[in-house]
Amino acid sequence: MNALVSRYSQPAYQHEGHSDNDTQKQLALDVAPSLSLNFALPPIASTASWLRAMTDDHANPNVPIKLAHGTTTLAFRFKGGIIVATDSRATAGNWIASQTVKKVIEINSCLLGTMAGGAADCQYWLAYLGMQCRLHELRHKRRISVAAASKILANLVYSYKGMGLSMGTMCAGVTPMEGPALYYVDNDGTRLAGNLFCVGSGQTFAYGVLDAEYKYDMEEDEALELGRRSILAATHRDAYSGGFVNLYHIKEEGWVRHGFNDTNPLFWKYKLEKGEFSNVTSQLV
Amino acid sequence: MNHDPVAWGRPRDDIYGSYNPSYLPPTRQPYSSHPPSHPTTHTQSPVVTGTSVLALKFSTGVVIAADNLASYGSLARFTDVKRLRPFNRNAIVGFGGDVSDMQYIDRLLLSLVVQENYAGGGESVTLMNARNLHTYLSKVLYKRRTDFNPLWNALLVGGLDEHQKPFLAYADLLGTTYSAPSLATGFGAHLAQPIMRKVVPDEAAAAKLSKEEAVKTIRECMKVLFYRDARSMNEYSLAVVDVRGVELKEDNKLEAESWAFADQIKGYGTQTV
Amino acid sequence: MAALSHHHLSSTAPFAFQQAPPQNHSGEPTQHAFYPYTDNGGSTLGISGKTFTVIAGDTRSTSGYNINTRYAPKLYPIGGQGPTHKGSKIVLSVVGFAADGRALQERLDTVVKMYRYQHGCEISVKACAQRLSHILYNKRFFPYYVQAILGGIDEETGEGALYSYDPVGSYEREYCRAAGAAASLIMPFLDNQVNLKNQYEPAAVSGFDKKQLVPQPLERPQVEELVRDAFTSAVERHIEVGDGLQMMFITKEGIEEVYFPLKKD
Repeated sequence: MNALVSRYSQPAYQHEGHSDNDTQKQLALDVAPSLSLNFALPPIASTASWLRAMTDDHANPNVPIKLAHGTTTLAFRFKGGIIVATDSRATAGNWIASQTVKKVIEINSCLLGTMAGGAADCQYWLAYLGMQCRLHELRHKRRISVAAASKILANLVYSYKGMGLSMGTMCAGVTPMEGPALYYVDNDGTRLAGNLFCVGSGQTFAYGVLDAEYKYDMEEDEALELGRRSILAATHRDAYSGGFVNLYHIKEEGWVRHGFNDTNPLFWKYKLEKGEFSNVTSQLV
Repeated sequence: MNHDPVAWGRPRDDIYGSYNPSYLPPTRQPYSSHPPSHPTTHTQSPVVTGTSVLALKFSTGVVIAADNLASYGSLARFTDVKRLRPFNRNAIVGFGGDVSDMQYIDRLLLSLVVQENYAGGGESVTLMNARNLHTYLSKVLYKRRTDFNPLWNALLVGGLDEHQKPFLAYADLLGTTYSAPSLATGFGAHLAQPIMRKVVPDEAAAAKLSKEEAVKTIRECMKVLFYRDARSMNEYSLAVVDVRGVELKEDNKLEAESWAFADQIKGYGTQTV
Repeated sequence: MAALSHHHLSSTAPFAFQQAPPQNHSGEPTQHAFYPYTDNGGSTLGISGKTFTVIAGDTRSTSGYNINTRYAPKLYPIGGQGPTHKGSKIVLSVVGFAADGRALQERLDTVVKMYRYQHGCEISVKACAQRLSHILYNKRFFPYYVQAILGGIDEETGEGALYSYDPVGSYEREYCRAAGAAASLIMPFLDNQVNLKNQYEPAAVSGFDKKQLVPQPLERPQVEELVRDAFTSAVERHIEVGDGLQMMFITKEGIEEVYFPLKKD
C-alpha cells in the first residue's frame, strides 16, 4: 500500500533515471576498492540460462558475446618441489584472441595459480585470492598455507555455483608446514589435493606424456623437461592450445620462472634432435 | 562443469539443462529442425505504433517531420496523433514506435519542464537545451533497457545546443545514440535518408543549407515515404526550430500527390519488362 | 558410414558423458526476454611505441545494413579536467554495442576523476587498466557487449602502454591489438608488421639457423602509416568499416587527435 501511495503521489519523472538511492550506491561502488562481490544481474528469473544463451560458444557458435578461454595447464609434485607449466593461447570461438596470455598467476612469492576456462574468471578470482592471502598474512603474521588458500577459492566459486563461472585452476606452493602442496579447484567447487594434474581442453594430451614419464624422484632438469614436453604435446594435438610454453618451478625458497618459449622452434628441436613427432613428415624450411 | 575435451569448461547439459536459444534473436540462434516456439507476447512489443520521423539540419536550425498516423498492426487506427513534441522553446522531440510509451515520455518531459520552471523561472535563466534533453532521454532509455523493460521508441531530438548552434540526435529503446546532419527513424532510414544525404552529405553542407531548401527536402521525403511506406499517411506535422523558437504546424497535407507513376510499376519496382 | 560421419560432424564426441536429450530446458519456465543488445559495427586498433601510444578507430556506426551516421567517435579521453577532459593522458576505445560502450566510458571516467579528488594525483595507466577490468567483471553475469582497448603512457618507464580486454574484463598488456568487426582482418597484419611474426633475417640459410626478426618499438610516422594502411585495407573488405579514421596519439604532453577521411561507400 505504501509503495502504491508513494508511486502515485510523486510526479512521473521521479521514477525514471537513477533515484538518489541508486546514485549513492553507484558512487559508493565507484569509490570503494574495486575487487568487490557486487555483481550486476540481468533482471530476469533464470540469469544463468540467459548468460549461457549469450556466451556459450560451444553450444551455439553464433553467440553474440564470445569470451576468451584458456586451455592447457599442468602441475606436478616431485622431489625437488613443484613444476607448473601452461600454454599461452586464448580463444574466443574459433578466433585466436591471444597467443601471449600469462596463464600462471603469481599470487605471492611462494604461491602460484594457473588459469584454464574463462580468462576473466580466472584473472579476477585469483586476484581476489591474492588479496585474501595478503590479508591472511597481515592478520596472522605468517604466510597462508596452500590448503587454506585453495579452500578460500573453492568456497568462493562454490557460492557462485550454477551462475555460469568457468574455471579450472590449480593452486601450487611450498610452505614450511606443508612442504610442496598442489590443489585442483574448479567452478563446480571441486577441490582435490594431488601429485599431478592436467587441466583444460588439452589435458588428455598432456596426461598422455606426463603419466608415461612421471616419477616422483626426478631431478630438477628432468622434471622441467617433462613439463615442457607435455605442454608441447598438447599444443600439437589440441587446436585450442598453442603459443608459448610458460614454465615455473616452485622450490622451498619460492618460485623460479623458466622461460616463455615459442612452441614452433621447440617442436622442431624435439623432432630433429630427438627424433620425436615422427608422425609429422614435413620438413623444416 | 564439462570435462570432455571438446566442450571443456562449459556447463553440462545433464546438470544445467540444455542450451536455451530462445533468449536470442532468430538470426543468432543455431540451426534447428524444431525452432523454439515463441508464445504470443504483448507487454514486450509495441501495439499502437507510429512510423518514421525525419529531420534535417540547416544553417541556423533544424527541420523535423512525422506523419499523424498511429497504426494498430496494419490497421490505420488513429489519424490525428501528433508525434512531434516541443520542449522549452529551443528543442523538439519526434517519436517513432509505441504510442503509449511516447505518451509516457511526454508526461515525463512535462514534469521536467514544470520542475525546471519552478526551480529557475524567468527568461534570464538558462533552460535545458536540445543536447541536455537528448542526454536525459538517452539515459532514461538505456536504464529501461538495462531493466529489461524498454520504452519501445526510436526518437529524434532536434533544436539548438548550448552555443545556439543546430543540434540533431537519435536515441532508441536500447539506448543507442548517434548524431548526423540528417537523421531518419524506421522506414525513413531506408527511403528518406538517401535523399536527405544527397542534400547534406556532411556538416559543412548543412551549415550552408537554407531553411527553405531544408523544408522542401523534408516535404519531398514525406511524399516518397507516403508512396512506399504502407504504415504512413498523407497528413503530417512539420516543425522548424531556430533562434526564433519552435514553429510547429501539425496539419500539413501532402502537396501535388499523384499516383500516375503506379501503373508503370511491375514486380517490386526494379523490374522493367 | 552414415553413423560415423554423423559422429564426425557432431560437435560432441560420441563416447562422452551421457548428455540429456535437448528438449525441455531443465524444467524451468521459459521467459521470453527482451534482447538487450545490438552491434554497431566498426573497428579499433592500438599500437604502443617508445614514447607514445596510438589508439585509432573508424567513425562509422551501423545497424544491420544501415549506416546510422558517418561520424560517431569510438575513442574517448578518460579523466582530465571537466567535460572536455583537458590534460587527460589516457584514451579508451570501445567497439560492439555503442550504448554499453558509452556507459562503460562514463563509469571509468567517473572513477578516474574520483581518484584524483581522493588522492590528489592522476591515476596511473596501470591502475586505470586494472580498474577497467574490474568494472567489466562487475557485469560478469550481464556483460557489457564491448571490446575495449585502453592506451596511455607508463609513468615508470615513459614508454607507451596498451591494454586490451574481452567483454568481461580479462586483460593483457600488449604492443598492438585490433578489435571489433574487422579485427580478424587487421590483427594478422599487425602481427606481421609490428610484432614481425614469421619474418626472418633474409640472409640466413634455413632450418635452425633462420633468425626470427626481433620487433623494435616503431617511430611515430611509421606507426601512423601502418594505422592508415590497416584501415584503408579493412574498408575495402568489410562493410561495417569506413567513413572516417580517428587517431589519438598519447604522449607525455597529452593527447593529439588526427582525423583522416576513409571511403564512404
